[in-house]
Amino acid sequence: MALNLFRRYPMEIILVLMYLYLSFAAPGFATLDNQMNVLRNITMQGIIAFGMTMVIVSGEIDLSVGSGVAFSGCVTAWVTGALSDAIGPWAAITIGALCAMTILFFVGVFTGKLRRHFNMPTFITTLGLLTVLSGAANLITGGFPITSFPFQFNFLGAGILFGIPFPVYIFAAVFGFVYFLMNYTSFGRALYAVGGNLEAARLSGIDVWKTKTLALGITGVFTAMAGVLIASQILSGSASAARGWELDVISAVIIGGTSLFGGKGTVRGTLIGVLFLGIIVNGMTLLNVSEYWQLVVRGLLIIGAVLLNHALDDTAKKH
Amino acid sequence: MSASIETQSLTKVYGNVVALDDFSHTFERSRIHALMGKNGSGKSTLVKMLSGVTRPTKGSMALDGQAVSFRSPQDAFNANIVTVHQELSLVPELSVTENIFLGRLPRSRVLGVSSIDWGKAHRQTEELFARMGLTLNPKATISSLSVGQQQTVEIAKAMSFDPTLLLLDEPTSALATKEVEMLFGLLRTLKDQGVTMMYISHRMSELSEIADTVTVLRDGQHVGSIEMAASSLGTVVDMMFGDVARATRPTRTTAIPVENPILQVRGLTHEPHFRDVSFDVRRGEVLGLAGMLGAGRTEVMRSIFGADRLDAGEIVLDGKAIASPSPQSMVQLGLGYTPENRKEVGLVQEHSIHNNLSMASLFRLAPRGLISKAAEAPGVAKQIDQLHIKVDSPALPVSSLSGGNQQKVVIGNWLNTDPKVMFFDEPSRGVDVNAKQQIFQIIWEQAASGLSSIFVSTELEEMLEVCDRILVMKEGQLLGELDPAETTLAELYTACMEGL
Repeated sequence: MALNLFRRYPMEIILVLMYLYLSFAAPGFATLDNQMNVLRNITMQGIIAFGMTMVIVSGEIDLSVGSGVAFSGCVTAWVTGALSDAIGPWAAITIGALCAMTILFFVGVFTGKLRRHFNMPTFITTLGLLTVLSGAANLITGGFPITSFPFQFNFLGAGILFGIPFPVYIFAAVFGFVYFLMNYTSFGRALYAVGGNLEAARLSGIDVWKTKTLALGITGVFTAMAGVLIASQILSGSASAARGWELDVISAVIIGGTSLFGGKGTVRGTLIGVLFLGIIVNGMTLLNVSEYWQLVVRGLLIIGAVLLNHALDDTAKKH
Repeated sequence: MSASIETQSLTKVYGNVVALDDFSHTFERSRIHALMGKNGSGKSTLVKMLSGVTRPTKGSMALDGQAVSFRSPQDAFNANIVTVHQELSLVPELSVTENIFLGRLPRSRVLGVSSIDWGKAHRQTEELFARMGLTLNPKATISSLSVGQQQTVEIAKAMSFDPTLLLLDEPTSALATKEVEMLFGLLRTLKDQGVTMMYISHRMSELSEIADTVTVLRDGQHVGSIEMAASSLGTVVDMMFGDVARATRPTRTTAIPVENPILQVRGLTHEPHFRDVSFDVRRGEVLGLAGMLGAGRTEVMRSIFGADRLDAGEIVLDGKAIASPSPQSMVQLGLGYTPENRKEVGLVQEHSIHNNLSMASLFRLAPRGLISKAAEAPGVAKQIDQLHIKVDSPALPVSSLSGGNQQKVVIGNWLNTDPKVMFFDEPSRGVDVNAKQQIFQIIWEQAASGLSSIFVSTELEEMLEVCDRILVMKEGQLLGELDPAETTLAELYTACMEGL
């Protein structure tokens, strides 16, 4: 009974156990303030991770999201700086954010097109884009953060609404949206089919390239949203923001049980993965674990989570 | 040195199937012995036992009078029996020399470090080629060679082990005519050097050219062995098929109309696979496309379905001319295609039976892009019920089903799209006899309720059993039409091999 439950919800159970442990062991962990703190810290990577789940389930990957976040923050800040005097800060911010989302959507589409027409692995294209977007962000800022935002803009990324950090609402909305896409649309079903067996999906009349391209494009939009949120949080567009996020995001997706080979994974699992990483980092900080040890532990956790998933898959097959 | 091989009451039983029954024969040394028989006749089983892949249930084998017993392929290998398999086992990125001496390249010590002696390796390869009468550059990479040259490298590799018995499993299946001649030249050279060879092929016309004797198996029984020089191909065909009882197709209650066909194709060409193919599929008929491997049957269907491109030709489906077919557009126009390799491209193996049964009909179930398990459930339940798919729960992965049930899921996936025309490509491959009959039953029932279909099977007797009309293809060309009611298996076989 207990074993069966564990087999079905392994990460959930580990998450709960870890939560209980930290509540007792880590001073200040169980306070409301800290809980909200954890939530706020995971929202931005979480939003991207939900998109990344679709990309990985469809059998592709996006390594460019870290630079994408920095790039969109910078674009938004730059547009705000350029237009604020003419049309007011709020309209300028809106236009800037829409620009960033549009650009990253089409960057995702571009990646998909290269995959389709030149059989270019998305691993390579997005690895290149990681550098390109980072360079572009630095070109926009000239190497110095752009501080063009009015201080009220800080609310978006750092404000509190009804006792909950504002970005958490966006996080929840994106989760709901992706959950709906993956479970209640033919696009979602196509994602799984395409990632599970590309040729079988194609022969069943599914537009396999449109499916993959759309997943990459949507993830671009989510990345831009995260970029706007972080720009709001630090009240500037910085080219060095979000460095290395791509690995955290992909880690969360994998810890959540999504297969890097495609065709298998859920956004609910990714939510667990995101929470898991957030709590671990927070807990270790509260326990005064050094940052270097934190890195070691997080890395080992990723390996452990994948090993566990494989082991459970194997026992499930034997049953 | 070459050897004769003698078998005594060799028998292999799998479960309750006797794959080879009481096979006693002596294959004389320094000759080329052809092994003939339909799929499932037992010839692969015989070769597997000779090459140590499986062990006989009963009986014995002797090499040059010495009794031998192989526990593993390595044992057979040590007895100098070398097999050249149908699929090439070369590493494309490596050189000819590396492939031939893979894992046993000559070494020498340079400054006390063991390293590969490339000069010696290439010299050994050249010597080997010289003995076989070949001119190939030992340094060439395999991928730069033609398929025929690759096949000769494969045989050269086998020869580098100095075999006394060389087993060749369909070595010509991937070769063009010119390459086949080259290969036969090589085999004759080897024979003159005293190598004993056993040769499996489906190409009847090759027999008189290369074989000294022909041994025919049918349903695990040894029908006989004859000297090729003293007999005709007709004799071999008769030995292969014997008198087969034909299963009866249900009689048609309504005649199939000749006019107003559901699918018309004219002048279809996709070089180098097929050219100028024209035919009609009549409403409610099961049309057979017969031919040997590589005749272009699958390729024609894939091109009509839009899975592969077309160089030229017209397609008219239900009165609608189709400019450039794609699987997406054809599915929506009412065409379905169950591919020949269901494991690889027919199903998403780790996904549920439920999902696999509604994969092709997503566009119908979700016209606005929204879908729910509840909306799919009726179609899933209907196919499980009507096709008698044995499942504990549709939520289980499709990989948990037997081959026959998996094939039914492939078919059910397509029937859920409400097709007007279905292409069944090898629907009976890898399924047991019962499931096979059930699948034919499904095809007939669908035909009776108005579905038109094209049926393809490598098993020619199935073509006669299932189809209303049979078109014969050979080397990418449509040769003509046969009436299954007035055609014997041997006639159909000859038509596919030699043309009409």
